[in-house]
Amino acid sequence: MSPSFARARRKEMLLAYALLLPSLVFLAIFTYWPILRSVWFSLHDVLLGDPDIYWLGAENYLRLLDDRLFWKVLGNTAFYTLTTIPLSIAVALLLAVALDSKLRGMAIYRSAFFYPVMIPSVAAGMVWVFLYAPGYGPINEALTTLGLPRLDWLYDSQWALPAIVIMSIWKYSGYFMLILLAALKLVPSDLYEAARLDGVSGWHRLLHITIPLVSPTLYFVIIIGTLHSYQIFDYVYVMTQGGPADSTNVLTFYIYQNGFQYQDIGYASALANALLVFVLGLIGLVALTLGRKVHYLGER
Amino acid sequence: MKSTKSNITRRRLLASGLAAPFVSMMPGVLTPARANETVKLQFMYPVGVSGDINTIISGMIADFNATHDGIEVEAIYAGSYDNTEQKVITALGVGEPPALWLPINSSLQTFLGLDALEDVTEQAKSDDIYDDFIGGFLDTAVSDGRLYGLSYQPSTPVLYYNKDAYAQAGIDKAPETWDELLETAKALTIRDGDELKRWGLIIGGGWHDWMFEGYCRQNGLVPWEKDKVLWDRPEAIEALSFWKTMVDAGCMAPASTWQGSANDFMAGSTAMLYHSTGSLTNLRKSSPFEVGVAFMPKKKQFGASQGGGPIMIAKNQSDAKKEAAWTFARWMTNTENQAAWSRATGYLAVRKSSWQQPEMVDYLKEVPQAEVAMKQAEFSGAFLQVPAYSRARDSLKSAIDRTLAGEIAPEAALTDATAEVNREIARVLRRQKS
Repeated sequence: MSPSFARARRKEMLLAYALLLPSLVFLAIFTYWPILRSVWFSLHDVLLGDPDIYWLGAENYLRLLDDRLFWKVLGNTAFYTLTTIPLSIAVALLLAVALDSKLRGMAIYRSAFFYPVMIPSVAAGMVWVFLYAPGYGPINEALTTLGLPRLDWLYDSQWALPAIVIMSIWKYSGYFMLILLAALKLVPSDLYEAARLDGVSGWHRLLHITIPLVSPTLYFVIIIGTLHSYQIFDYVYVMTQGGPADSTNVLTFYIYQNGFQYQDIGYASALANALLVFVLGLIGLVALTLGRKVHYLGER
Repeated sequence: MKSTKSNITRRRLLASGLAAPFVSMMPGVLTPARANETVKLQFMYPVGVSGDINTIISGMIADFNATHDGIEVEAIYAGSYDNTEQKVITALGVGEPPALWLPINSSLQTFLGLDALEDVTEQAKSDDIYDDFIGGFLDTAVSDGRLYGLSYQPSTPVLYYNKDAYAQAGIDKAPETWDELLETAKALTIRDGDELKRWGLIIGGGWHDWMFEGYCRQNGLVPWEKDKVLWDRPEAIEALSFWKTMVDAGCMAPASTWQGSANDFMAGSTAMLYHSTGSLTNLRKSSPFEVGVAFMPKKKQFGASQGGGPIMIAKNQSDAKKEAAWTFARWMTNTENQAAWSRATGYLAVRKSSWQQPEMVDYLKEVPQAEVAMKQAEFSGAFLQVPAYSRARDSLKSAIDRTLAGEIAPEAALTDATAEVNREIARVLRRQKS
């Protein structure tokens, strides 16, 4: 390596760091520092509203193991994640394939399916509280018309969480659909033509051409979906407040309850760190399994 | 345990250094040149019942501002009791509490634990507070003989009933005992095959732990002491078992929400409702049928826990603000205002003199329902004034919900919740000692 080349390279590095600095400062102040602080707090007795903190060591983490509700909440979060993501992505993919045509009026359909994404989540939650109302709610009316039994939905500890899952699928599918639709546009149409000439059925075209070729996008959507789903808070807050019988209490809501309702910032921090591990684990799992199956067009 | 100062103090130091040039311009800081300026107070309050209470309170505050030169109260509607408490505590954490706030009385120990409350005992003694306030109401703001607020909106749960539904079912009086309540609720429930048309009874969700404490009192137990809860006592277990019996009999809803239950009652989806007396005026005026009000039925005796709360004044603020805050709190609880507030909402006026006002006497003749909660208040006491009360409430609600959903037996649910909550209370007390 010649000295002039090394100098140029060093200059380039300096420029790169200079350009990164503003966002690094932001991340440091608003992301990394709070994470470190929450680790520090999780080792202390910290009361919201009181500047004094007391060293506890691992006590907050030992409380986690003994906390019946924590395990229930973890289970609820996992149930929500593992149902919402596959179902909403499946719906999104089917919608995207169906809407990926050059028929007239497609823009209207696309907008229609994307519309739920644009509704503020608090407003959507309140609308769904009405839709799910046991006495006069349209969903129960529809069930009766179909000859099915009526449900208590948000008032029933068996059905409250599935009810929120159904609503989330409605809310998120449109968003995933839009991303997948963009990916579909990039699939070369000659592949479909060749397949059609060889007499490959629509289902097999989906399975063997579409899905492999949009798999990088699918992978992205799964990661985004995972992030979305553990962040669920607004619907729980608006629709059920974690009830009935804790059946819809999820990690973010439980952290909020402990930190702000019970002023127990130390324990809330321990929970937040548990959530961090949960999410990293989940993303790691996705990366190690699905991530390996992703096909990239071109050289990779 | 070793105490380490968090760097909030350092940050505050830094902030105060930056703020120094502006402090003299701030409204609460009295410098000679600015002594005649208006004192600005923030007042955070919740709406804890059904109806358009916010309009009424903000109207009162506007009246106060119009009639008091030198004081300007900023009305901050902060949501539910929980939301209000969180906003106040967060503001306390950064050293800038509102001048006054209106929490649920159960939070007394929580705020005292934060050393947030101005002791108003002496001011109250030199005023007519101890003579004219109804003792049981004032007691909910007393700790170790000192007074930390002026009761503003005391309430108890009462039994609301649909008089039309009673007439249809041939029932001529409200139930007075638990057994009668079960029979009445059964008689009022309507089903069409499997489909429920009307519940006999809904116990307002979200505050059903408050009602449950009433049931314990009716069974001869105050289910808490200063530093522990006693939900594992036989009286409490019997109360929860009774709820389960009503749910199993199909005449009581296993779960509901606070606003939803009031709406269900007004829509005729339930014939009876346990709700706060603060909802009286709204339920009475918005229901398309005549609304009856009765004591909550008794087991061994009548009993209820008081909801609502006192107006509290922040300790950490200037004397000028404290004085203005006292003026405002005193005005909100004066004879006329309490009488008007009580008529507008159904909350119980805190002053004896309010109940003797001519308008109030006429009102009670016209709406005798309004007197029921006042008479019931005689059998009432403070609500769950333990440290960590907020967690305690959620644990109890969860135990009740899981029992009524059939997931766990009453005794196991209450024993677990008691152990869990007492552990948390011990943790908070350990902190206060160190």
